[in-house]
Amino acid sequence: MPNATGHRDAARSVVFAALDGTGRAELVEQRLTDAIVSGVLRDGERLPSESQLSRSLGVALVTAREALEGMRDRGLVRTRRGRDGGSFVTYDRESAARLLESRVRGHSRVELRDLALHVSAIAGTAAELAADRASHDDIETLLVIHDGADLATAGGARRALGRFQLEVAAISQSPRLVREEVRLQSEAGPLLWLCLREQEYRDHSAAARIRVIDAIRDVDPVAARAATIAQATAALDWLVDEKVRLEASADAAQGVR
Amino acid sequence: MNPPAGATSTLSAVEVADRVADRIDALFATVDDWRDGLQAYLEMDAAPTAATLDPVVEASAVPALAADGLITGSGFVAAPGLLSDAQWHLAWWLGGMAGIRRLATIDDPSNEQFRDYTTLEWWRFPARTGARHLTGPYVDYVCTDDYTVTITTPVVVGAQLLGVVGMDVLVDRLERELLPLLRASRLPIAIVNASGRIVTATDSRREPGSMLRLDGLAEALAPLREAEPPRMQTTLPGGAEVLACGDTSLALVVGP
Repeated sequence: MPNATGHRDAARSVVFAALDGTGRAELVEQRLTDAIVSGVLRDGERLPSESQLSRSLGVALVTAREALEGMRDRGLVRTRRGRDGGSFVTYDRESAARLLESRVRGHSRVELRDLALHVSAIAGTAAELAADRASHDDIETLLVIHDGADLATAGGARRALGRFQLEVAAISQSPRLVREEVRLQSEAGPLLWLCLREQEYRDHSAAARIRVIDAIRDVDPVAARAATIAQATAALDWLVDEKVRLEASADAAQGVR
Repeated sequence: MNPPAGATSTLSAVEVADRVADRIDALFATVDDWRDGLQAYLEMDAAPTAATLDPVVEASAVPALAADGLITGSGFVAAPGLLSDAQWHLAWWLGGMAGIRRLATIDDPSNEQFRDYTTLEWWRFPARTGARHLTGPYVDYVCTDDYTVTITTPVVVGAQLLGVVGMDVLVDRLERELLPLLRASRLPIAIVNASGRIVTATDSRREPGSMLRLDGLAEALAPLREAEPPRMQTTLPGGAEVLACGDTSLALVVGP
């Protein structure tokens, strides 16, 4: 057998490289970026330290460091040394617009549609079941979440939306639906609920919650499902419109040549 | 009444209720032991820290996970501010296929995933009444990530609530122990909690987790929501019989 070439060795070494490499760092970076774009992490907020991040995300310290470096390079994070040091979110209007654009344009309409369908299937079924299975205490819990919602910011509105849908899933009494809801919230949430950047949609989200709570109180599974799915559909429509608008302006810029 | 020799033994509804209560009471006794131990410790230690308290909790919580197949989680949850080195603190261990592990918690209130546990039923109820409480069945997305019943009892020193001790029991495992008891009665029986939620039932149409909606049931179960659930037995307008399972806050609904 001929000696392996250097090229081949390199290919092999990538196959067997520790999984704690770039792939995971990118995932961590994407997760944190999503949180910043959707307003869950605010401008100026201090991020957890590298060691805290590595522990809570279950990744190696170097992975957390790499992810933070990536965000620093993209101007999303600024690091200060010293006593009151740490990594802080830097997120001005300009970087916000740039990131949103690449996120929305990075997905085809088919992908966006499928994402919204998946969210509708899980959250809609959860709401349908919850309407039949809620106790009085469960309805009280939903009202507390609704009353505590901060609609003044995109992040506050999204936290309330996520918290509410998680609780509705829990009221369905299905551990599988809850786990899928949690998974989908981190996968699809930051993209699907981008419409919450606009006050009009934050107000819609509060109105949707009221409709769901009323349907659950009335033991009306069909209405609970319909109200939940209508909200996801409206979010998808906003996203597709936004995509069309962004691409039209990009095309116009290119057409000038 | 004893069944005649040689016949398959059939349990009466009252016997089923007693046996369900016995099984749950054994869990209550374990939780009460932990409470006594921890209360005694906290009477001695006026300035407890997470660092000193955790090993004390671990010493009773972890062996229980191995000793009783029903127990899948156990530990102590501190009142906010009790521990000088941890404002919010759960010392909770979970059993499972992969062995025993400590529950990873998010104790930083500014974190998106942070949950104020003092708003949850397993804290709220014992904190308000000073009495033991059975929460669930419910999907516990904070600890077990599964369909769970949680038993908690307050730890009180000098009239001050210092926290709650408790355990998680998977409804799946509870069903495996309790459903054979129900079947042994050869009666149509459902076990419900004080809200009327079905824990398990002999009738396939009465799904675990669903609410049993019978005329008068909510009113009949209302006393079970009190701090010290009374032993009661009553008949609903539709003919079904409701029997409290001891002082567990669970009840049997016997009949169609």
